Amino acid sequence: MTGKTARLIFWVGTLTSAAIFLWQTYDFHMQTPRLTHTDKLTEQVVAGKKVWHKYNCNDCHTILGFGGYYAPDMTKAFYRLGENNIASIVQHPDVMYKNSFRKMPQLGVSETETRQLVSFLRWVGDIENRHWPPQDEKFVQAYRLRESQPEKLDKVHLVLQACGGCHTFENQGRNVGGDLTTIANRIPYDRQTLINYMINPQSVRPGVAMPPQDVSPQTAAIIADFILSLKSTKEVNK
Amino acid sequence: MLIEYQSQRVSLWYFRLALVLFILQVIMGLWLSINYAFTLPQDLVNVFPFSTAREIHTNVLVAWMLLGFMGGTYYILPPECGRDLYSPKIAYAQLVIFVAAAVTAVIGFLFGWTRGKPLLEIPFPLNGLIVVAALLFIANVAMTIIQSKQKSALQWMLLGGVTFLAVMYLFGMPFYKNLNTDYYYWWWVIHLWVEGAWEVVTASIVAYIIMRVTGVDRKVVEKWLYVETGLFLFTGIVGTGHHYYWIGAPDYWIWWGGIFSALEPLPIVLMVVDTWMHVRERRNPIVNPLTWYYIIGLAIYHLVGAGLWGFMHTLPPINYYTHGSQITVSHGHLAFFGAYALLNLTIFYFAMPRLKGINKYQDRLGKWGFWITTIGMFVLGLVFGIAGILQTYLERFLDIGYSTAHLTMMFWFRVAFGVGLVFLAGVVITVYHLFTIKPSSIPAPEPVVTPASNI
Repeated sequence: MTGKTARLIFWVGTLTSAAIFLWQTYDFHMQTPRLTHTDKLTEQVVAGKKVWHKYNCNDCHTILGFGGYYAPDMTKAFYRLGENNIASIVQHPDVMYKNSFRKMPQLGVSETETRQLVSFLRWVGDIENRHWPPQDEKFVQAYRLRESQPEKLDKVHLVLQACGGCHTFENQGRNVGGDLTTIANRIPYDRQTLINYMINPQSVRPGVAMPPQDVSPQTAAIIADFILSLKSTKEVNK
Repeated sequence: MLIEYQSQRVSLWYFRLALVLFILQVIMGLWLSINYAFTLPQDLVNVFPFSTAREIHTNVLVAWMLLGFMGGTYYILPPECGRDLYSPKIAYAQLVIFVAAAVTAVIGFLFGWTRGKPLLEIPFPLNGLIVVAALLFIANVAMTIIQSKQKSALQWMLLGGVTFLAVMYLFGMPFYKNLNTDYYYWWWVIHLWVEGAWEVVTASIVAYIIMRVTGVDRKVVEKWLYVETGLFLFTGIVGTGHHYYWIGAPDYWIWWGGIFSALEPLPIVLMVVDTWMHVRERRNPIVNPLTWYYIIGLAIYHLVGAGLWGFMHTLPPINYYTHGSQITVSHGHLAFFGAYALLNLTIFYFAMPRLKGINKYQDRLGKWGFWITTIGMFVLGLVFGIAGILQTYLERFLDIGYSTAHLTMMFWFRVAFGVGLVFLAGVVITVYHLFTIKPSSIPAPEPVVTPASNI
C-alpha cells in the first residue's frame, strides 16, 4: 500500500461516515417531535427536568438507560410508581426506605418541585423508545388497561400494577410497604374500611407512611376484595 | 541528550498531577463499591450520597485522562516539530486554569454545586474556564506546528485529534429542554470522544512512541496511522448509533448503529497487528522492557476491553437486556483502563525517565505495579460482568423486581471491593515507582539507528 492510498482511506472513511451521521442527525430532529410528543413538552415538564438536574438524580438513577446504576431506571417510573408514590419517595426517602438495604438521600425537594418532577417523568414515560426497559413494560401496559377498563383486568395483574410499586405479592413488586399476604393476615379492617384506607390512609390510621392512592373507589373495591381473599385462603389452609 | 528540547519539561507537571488524580479516582471507586456492598446509615447518605461520589469518580477520571493527553502532546511535539514549544508559559497558564477549575468543581460537588448531567456535571462558569484552557492548549499546539520547518502527518493528526476533542465538548454545554435531544448530543461528547477523538490522539501518540523506540521507518508508521484513524472514524462516527436504540430515535439506528459498531473492533485489531509487527521488525534493541509491557498491554487490553466487550454489549438484541446495567459498568472499566489509562501510563513510562535524564531505569517495582493493576482490573471487570449478568437475568428475564435483583449485588460488590483494594495497591506502587524512578545499574544496549526523525 502506498502512502497515497492510506491517505485516501483516511479521508474517504472519515468523510462518508461524517456525511451519513450528519444526515441522520438532521432526520433525528425532524422525527423527534413525533417520537417524544413535543406538543406535551410544557413549561412544567421543562421545570421538572431542571429539578431532575438540580438534585443530581441522574448519578444514582438511570434514565433512558444512562446515568448511575445504583438505583432503578426512571424512564417508565411514572407508570411503575404513579404520581403519589413518586411524591412520597422523593419527599420522604428516609421513611419509604427505612427497611431497605439501600438508602436514598433526603434531598429537601419542595412540593412545587415534586409536582414538576412528576410532570417530567410522566412526559419521559411517553417517549416512544421501543418499549425499553423490558422489566417496566408490564407497568405501562397495566396502567393503560387500568385507565381504560379496570373491570376486565386479571385481579393479580391489577393489584400488582396498582400496589406493586411498594408491596410484594409472591416475590413480585418492590418491598417497601410489606408483602400483601402478610398484610392481609394482619389487618382487622372490613371491606369498606380497606377501601377508605387505600384512598386516604390517614383517615383510618393516622401517622401511617403510606401515601393516598389515586384509584377510583371501583378499582379500590376490586383490590380490597383481592387482599381480603388472601386472608381467608390462609385461614382455610390452617 | 535524552530530551532534545527544554520546553518538553512542561509535560512533567501534567504527568504528576494526572498520577495524583488517578489515585483519588481509585479511592473514590472503592467508596462507591462500599455503597453497593453494605447498607449505609441514612445520615451519611444524606451528606455524601452515591451520586456525589460518582461524579467525583468520573470527573477525576476525565481530568487525569486529559492531563495525560495534553502532557503527552507537549512532550512529543517539540522533537516532532524540530523546535521548542510556541510558548511554555501558555502551557503552564493553561495547566493552572485547568487544575483550578477541576479542583473547584470537585469541592463544589461536595456542596451540591452541579449541573446534574452524568459525566458533564461541571457547572457553567467552570466550563468557561475549561474552554479557555482548551483554547490556549490548541493555540499553543497549532502555533508550534505552523511555525515548524518540519511537516509531518503525525503533527496534523495530533492537532486534528485534540481540536476534534475540544469541539465535541461544546455540544454538552447547553441546556436541552428535550431529554432525548439532550442525550443525543451527550453522546457527541462521550462517544465521539472515546470512540473518535481520543482514539485519534491515542493512535498518534502510540505511533510516535513506537517510531522512537523501535527505529521503524516513519513512512511505514504514518501509513498505518492513516489507515487506523480512517477506520476508527469510519466505524466510530456512525457507530454512535449504538447509544440511540432506546432513546426515542428513529428505527433505522438499530441497523446503522448495530452494523457500524460491530465493525468498531477492526481498527483495534489492526493496531494490535501493527504494534506486533513493529516490535518484530524493530531495528533498535529493547532498552526498557517495562515500557514495552505497557505498549503491548495497551494494544491487547484495548482490544479486549473496548473492542470485544463493546462488540458483544452493543449488538441490539443483547443490548435490549444489558443496556444500563452492571454490564455497562464492566465494559466501562475494562475499556477506560485498557484503552486510556494504559495509554497514559505508556506515555508516563516513556517520557518521565527521559525527563529525569534516565535512559535505562530500574523496573522491578514497576513490573509489580503493571501486573497487579492489569490483572486486578481484569478480575474487577469479570466481577462486574457476573454481577451484571445476574442483574439482567433476575430483573429482566425472570422479572422479579429491582430490589430483589439488587440484593445479589451486595455479595459481588464485597468481592469487587476486595479486588479494588488490590488494584489500589498496584496503582500506588506504579505511581510511587514513576515518582521515584531511578537509573538501572545494568548498561543499556546501544541503539543501532538514530531514532527516526523527520528529515
